[in-house]
Amino acid sequence: MKNLLKSRNTGLIVVLILLLIVAGIVTPTMFGVQSLISMLQNNSVYALLAVGEMCVILTGGIDISIASQLAFVGIVCTSLSCSNPTVPGIVFVLLGLVLGALCGGLNGFLVGKLKMVPMICTLGTMYIFRGLAFVVSGGEWWFAVAYSDTYRNWAIARVLGLPAIIWIAIIVMIIAGFFQSYTTAGRRIYAIGTSRESAAVAGVNEGTVTLYAYIICGALTGLAGMLYTANYAIGYYGMAEGFEMTAIAICVLGGVSITGGKGRMDGVAIGVLIMAVVTYFISMIPGMSVWQKALQGAIIIVAVAINYFTERSAAKQALKERGALI
Amino acid sequence: MSDYILELNDVVKTFGGVRALNGVHFQLKKGEIHALMGENGAGKSTFIKVITGVHQPDSGLMTLEGEKITFRNTSDSAKMGIAAIYQHVTSFPDLTVTENIFMGQEIKNKFGVYDWKAMHQRAKELIEPLSKEIDVKKPMGTLSVAAQQLVEIAKALSRDARILIMDEPTASLTRNECLELYRITKELRDKGVSIIFITHRFEDMYELASRVTVFRDSTYVGTWDVDGITNQDLVKAMVGRELTAMYPEKTAKIGDVVLEVDNISKEGYFKNISFNVRRGEILALTGLVGAGRTEVCQTIYGIMTPDTGEIRLEGQKVNIKSPIDALKLGIGLLPENRQTEGLVNELPIYQNVSSATMNQFVKKGQLDVDAEMENAIALCKKIQLKANDITAPPSSLSGGNQQKVVVAKMLSSEQKVLIMDEPTKGIDVGAKYSIYEIMNDLACRGYAIIMVSSEMPEVLGVADRIVVLKGGRVTGQFDSMDNVTQEMILEASLKEKGGDK
Amino acid sequence: MPGSNYDRDLTVKEGFVLSKFLVKWEMILVYILLALNLVLILFKTDLYFQAGTVQSIINAGLDVSPMVLGMVFILLLGDIDCSVAAQMIFGGMVTGLLMDKGVPAIIAVICGIIACMCCGAFNGACVAYLKMPAVITTISTAMLFRGIVEIVLGENSLKNFPAWYNKIGWYNIADIIPLSALLFIIMGVIFCFVLHKTTFGRRAYIVGNNPTCATYSGISVTKVKMQIFILMGFMAGIGSIFFIGRMGGGVSSSMGTGYEMTAIACAVLGGVSTNGGKGKMYGPIIATFIMAFLTYTLGLLGVDPNTKKIFTGVILILTILISTVNKQMIKDIKLKLIYHSNKNIEAINYRTIDFVKEKKAEIVEIKKSGAADADKKIAAINAEIEAAKKECAEKSAAWWAEQKADAQKAKERFSK
Repeated sequence: MKNLLKSRNTGLIVVLILLLIVAGIVTPTMFGVQSLISMLQNNSVYALLAVGEMCVILTGGIDISIASQLAFVGIVCTSLSCSNPTVPGIVFVLLGLVLGALCGGLNGFLVGKLKMVPMICTLGTMYIFRGLAFVVSGGEWWFAVAYSDTYRNWAIARVLGLPAIIWIAIIVMIIAGFFQSYTTAGRRIYAIGTSRESAAVAGVNEGTVTLYAYIICGALTGLAGMLYTANYAIGYYGMAEGFEMTAIAICVLGGVSITGGKGRMDGVAIGVLIMAVVTYFISMIPGMSVWQKALQGAIIIVAVAINYFTERSAAKQALKERGALI
Repeated sequence: MSDYILELNDVVKTFGGVRALNGVHFQLKKGEIHALMGENGAGKSTFIKVITGVHQPDSGLMTLEGEKITFRNTSDSAKMGIAAIYQHVTSFPDLTVTENIFMGQEIKNKFGVYDWKAMHQRAKELIEPLSKEIDVKKPMGTLSVAAQQLVEIAKALSRDARILIMDEPTASLTRNECLELYRITKELRDKGVSIIFITHRFEDMYELASRVTVFRDSTYVGTWDVDGITNQDLVKAMVGRELTAMYPEKTAKIGDVVLEVDNISKEGYFKNISFNVRRGEILALTGLVGAGRTEVCQTIYGIMTPDTGEIRLEGQKVNIKSPIDALKLGIGLLPENRQTEGLVNELPIYQNVSSATMNQFVKKGQLDVDAEMENAIALCKKIQLKANDITAPPSSLSGGNQQKVVVAKMLSSEQKVLIMDEPTKGIDVGAKYSIYEIMNDLACRGYAIIMVSSEMPEVLGVADRIVVLKGGRVTGQFDSMDNVTQEMILEASLKEKGGDK
Repeated sequence: MPGSNYDRDLTVKEGFVLSKFLVKWEMILVYILLALNLVLILFKTDLYFQAGTVQSIINAGLDVSPMVLGMVFILLLGDIDCSVAAQMIFGGMVTGLLMDKGVPAIIAVICGIIACMCCGAFNGACVAYLKMPAVITTISTAMLFRGIVEIVLGENSLKNFPAWYNKIGWYNIADIIPLSALLFIIMGVIFCFVLHKTTFGRRAYIVGNNPTCATYSGISVTKVKMQIFILMGFMAGIGSIFFIGRMGGGVSSSMGTGYEMTAIACAVLGGVSTNGGKGKMYGPIIATFIMAFLTYTLGLLGVDPNTKKIFTGVILILTILISTVNKQMIKDIKLKLIYHSNKNIEAINYRTIDFVKEKKAEIVEIKKSGAADADKKIAAINAEIEAAKKECAEKSAAWWAEQKADAQKAKERFSK
């Protein structure tokens, strides 16, 4: 199975390289250093969202409220920062994390402790957070002039030649990968996603694990919300609509099983890159931007279908091995 | 008192009004292998879950080395050196063997972080004496059942278990795997581990145990030295009465062959299965759990399709692709798990009964509920269903009566062949008798019945002919019931692979 | 003992009980609807009795109504369809484009509906045959369908629709009955019939409750799922007529976002469980009206449309939480809070309650019989009751003390 996962990753890398080649032939300008950097910069937010969403999907749940959470936390950070320009940006980074964790905690409590269906629960909170975003913003829009430099620098300041937001995304992914493979808390997420009954027998508290998986997702989403507003220097209640789907798409593409328990960070990292190249590629071709939504939808369907077929062929393989025993 | 490492006294456990354990006793000596026996549904599995702290007993006393003890959860019992290998392997199929072994007590370095290298190393050390073929980095789900059991044993060893509970570990193992397991179990005993070995195979008990305790219908029957009890007495203790009186007299006349199964195979499940069943006959399909009996039935019923071979109904070759085809042809199946496969617990009894035949109650495009109910009531009366109200959901009934609802459902359409997969699983003795009566009655009315059962006495008492499966192959067939004994069937069901090639 | 009677007649025992009928979920919905009306009457008296107010409330809220009816079936299966709004826009686009090309209106409308049914069939094929999770499938097909509309229309919008579309959205028959409400009620009656009176509806229940059992009963699960997803597509097509009519006869790619959520919310509020197999058709029909009045009431109270989303979300979550509260849960909570999680204490309490009930029934019997020594007997029974109650209390206390001691011991032992 590990080999299969590995081969899946190699398959993804092949797809990535092919995409790059096609993109390079069609739009050679894409390979400028600056344009590649801006591609990564614009997709770092997706990376953060995908890592958070991954934690939730690994438990066998789903969180479709993250885009609304992002908007809500982003608006709170923006409005506070704009009215208090002297407060250093780090405060808002922490605020974003905490506020996001609270949003995630609400989802986690409803799903983990009150046993609501994740889809319906986050559907409801999606409404709530989006509404809250509007209430907090009062319908106002913020633009670049209103932002303080310390706030924006968290996303755009160059560190070793790369914008800070890229570094943050990379660091988060490394920490998350480490968390998922080397800590008890991380492994418990996999355990409950794999088999809830076995987890119960092994004395794992499913509700609590679910709760903190959603909290992690929320915290990362909150961070992404702060960084999103810092990166684009724009904040309004309707921002980031549909981002949850992109995050889910990246996870599915990266080999995270939608039923939980399976998936690795390296796959998700490649998924982020593929999604980045695809969207960037589309935006480079004139008149293609309208294709974005349809293509994304198609990519997810195909990815899920491929997951389904690989899993089925693996099951068949296992049966064949058993057949040899008879 | 310190003679006993573990003692349980008068333990009661109920689940929503059903008594799963009704005042049971148990005493385990240090360093002994103690067999725990009983029929399906006797409460053995619940009992070990109480010992390991998965369930908390409602009342009763548990003492460990003479000291009263309560476990809040499984990690409490693990800390006291109690480990269990459950019947339905409770592993994490997507996680690696190593992680399964160390679940709950991972090796960590000084920063509190998993030390995978050390864990893999230690896992290898634990597994190697048991089996050389298991790769500890592979996901658990890719291993065979026997290998998974060995991993569970390694897991128990990793925790320095003083008490090891094994729940029917031999149920789905080959003969060689069994012998290997016996060897390992004895080694553990010699190291001073006390072992509770749950089984319903006499062979396991004679091979390993020094003492045996029997449960029946959630109650404690007794404890004996293995040397001091005869087979008959033990069977009597397990079953509760003399075998002869348990089954109704057979009165059906046996006619022509109705269903013929010719050389069907399905990769991964069974190979070259052939048998036939005649009108008015009860054919028993027996063998151990996992022998492929259920899969054969599912294939006849169209849940699965065979890779090769053919099925003939009254001499005609039939192509059954789904249960819809099977029902049209007159083949019915009483599924093994009535809760998940036979009943819709949220819907009233009459809707359950008519779920396979509702088309016949359509009048002017509308379901005629009155006719539907009338029909259901007539059927339920015929099989003496004990229920107050036909609109109540089946979840309000006892296990035996739930089974009757499924039987009524199967009888609601005209059928020639009725397959009954473990028809008496988990229902009480009285209800069993009435199910047998129904079967007998159906046979008299010309049904051909295939009964799947793993309970030897039942097979001997009810069937007209017996086919024994083992590892997906037919390993024995008894065309006449004269002189057939439990031992003969058991021998056939334990035959090594390729035994009758 | 009620179980001893062997020869039972099995007939229906539970007749119509008014007290039970009045607390049914559907009735509660009716009360909510009435309460909302009452709020409007009390706070906006003039407006409420003004001609056309109620009609416009209903007209405004019913553009989503056809999709609610389809969604009930989808949820009954235990699935979900998040692509209905996109399907609706997709179907609208097909109709609009054909109208632009000069195709007769009726054919254009039918083609639009067929287009929606194809969308539904695509969802159904993914869910039923490929066994893909409905959530992911329909969210991504929502992007796909809407994406196609974006590709075709870009920033443009289609304006050419049959004139009777507007009537469905705005017209009141004789200035009193909104046409949309009439059509919705007619559709609702048909759907009630289909769900509750036909084999199709029965199959939906069986598949939703227990798909494995459905397979064993000779019901093709894939076929049922496929049919229902196509039905959903059909209703989305009808929905596009309602929606475009309400929007004044125009459609563009960004319209109608969030309508799928409203449809789901109406169905859930109407008592349909998202786990499948539970719910009736009447509830969601009433719930659709509730939603219409609720949105309007909030609007009148000056709540902004975006802020309304908070209410919709809270209502959605609350209704589901309320519906999960059942007898077992109350019993569990009681066990936890009153009986200290001790099954023994719970058991003796329940046993005592039963015993007391039994004895009290005996007293009534004795009183009825009017025997000579009735008083004496009653006194004896009363003493028995007292004794039982006392014993229960004593034992409970003792057991609890014991449990506390055990817990303490366990804590000490295992905290090491």
